[in-house]
Amino acid sequence: MPDWQELVRQRLSSLALDAEEKDEVHAELAAHLEESYEVFRAEGLPEYEAVQRTLAQVADWKELQRKIDSARIGKDTMTNRVTQLWLPGLLTFALSMGLLELVQKFGPRPIILNLDKGTPVLMFYTSWLLILPLAGALGAYLSKRAGGSVRMVLASSIFPVLPFAVVFLIAIPVGLVIGHNLAHHIVTAAFFTMGLGWVLAPGATLFAGGLLVQFLFSRRSGFHGVTTS
Amino acid sequence: MIGSGIKRGTAELAILSVLEHGPLHGYEMARRIEQQTKGALRFTLAALYPMLYRMEQRGWIRGAWEISQSGRRKRCYRLTPAGKKKLSPLRKEWAELFGALKRLTKVSHA
Repeated sequence: MPDWQELVRQRLSSLALDAEEKDEVHAELAAHLEESYEVFRAEGLPEYEAVQRTLAQVADWKELQRKIDSARIGKDTMTNRVTQLWLPGLLTFALSMGLLELVQKFGPRPIILNLDKGTPVLMFYTSWLLILPLAGALGAYLSKRAGGSVRMVLASSIFPVLPFAVVFLIAIPVGLVIGHNLAHHIVTAAFFTMGLGWVLAPGATLFAGGLLVQFLFSRRSGFHGVTTS
Repeated sequence: MIGSGIKRGTAELAILSVLEHGPLHGYEMARRIEQQTKGALRFTLAALYPMLYRMEQRGWIRGAWEISQSGRRKRCYRLTPAGKKKLSPLRKEWAELFGALKRLTKVSHA
């Protein structure tokens, strides 16, 4: 019996999908071919003929590859990106910022860490960080409900910190290069404290919420038995 | 010759209809359609999966990996609420089309 997984992987090696999606397509089509081959064999066909009839289901692998690419990343991609990433992500962002605003106005005072004399301080709104997993979970849930992949689901949950990450990763190094009169140790300290306070800590808590939703969904879909022939 | 639009429409209706009765993986779906149409509609792998992926992108069906009774991992598809909603008007459209064709051919033969 041929190695169907390997056969499909070789013939559909140039699918324009990300690695995870590509593996899923390969595995799914290989399972179909394998089942088809087994049914032909059970019907009494000799091995060679069973293989030939199984392979006859795909007359042109290049054409199949083109059709799969077109179906999975074709014209509906933009709509999917909106419903699976941008919309849940922006809602998560709005909720996170709303919660921060509320915590700053009505919540307990933040924990302030003075790192060094003259360097920026590190502020943690602990109550905000404690409720952030809810926002991450909401983003992940909305993305999952719209059919988002694991990557989309997790990206939606940490969406609020992505703009900050981009700003810190680009603006601060650029500022360091342009602003010659700024002391390097101040910029480095700012990079560290702001990165920790606005990206890493909230990112980790949002991610925890997203991960929980992803885990619950994968459990729900992973343990259903199905009847097969 | 049947145009690709009509072919695609019938294929979508066939897939939504078999999934109405419960989740199925690709191979089983193709077999059910072939059996229930007495061989009139046949889906090869090359025809079935691009169609399933397109319908999944549209949000009519959703695929998820599941463990079959034989212990194998299979990607099972089920109707989404959007797919269920789509099925009824699609059925009506096709019933109207076939009804019209039937009337037309009867008149032609008379």
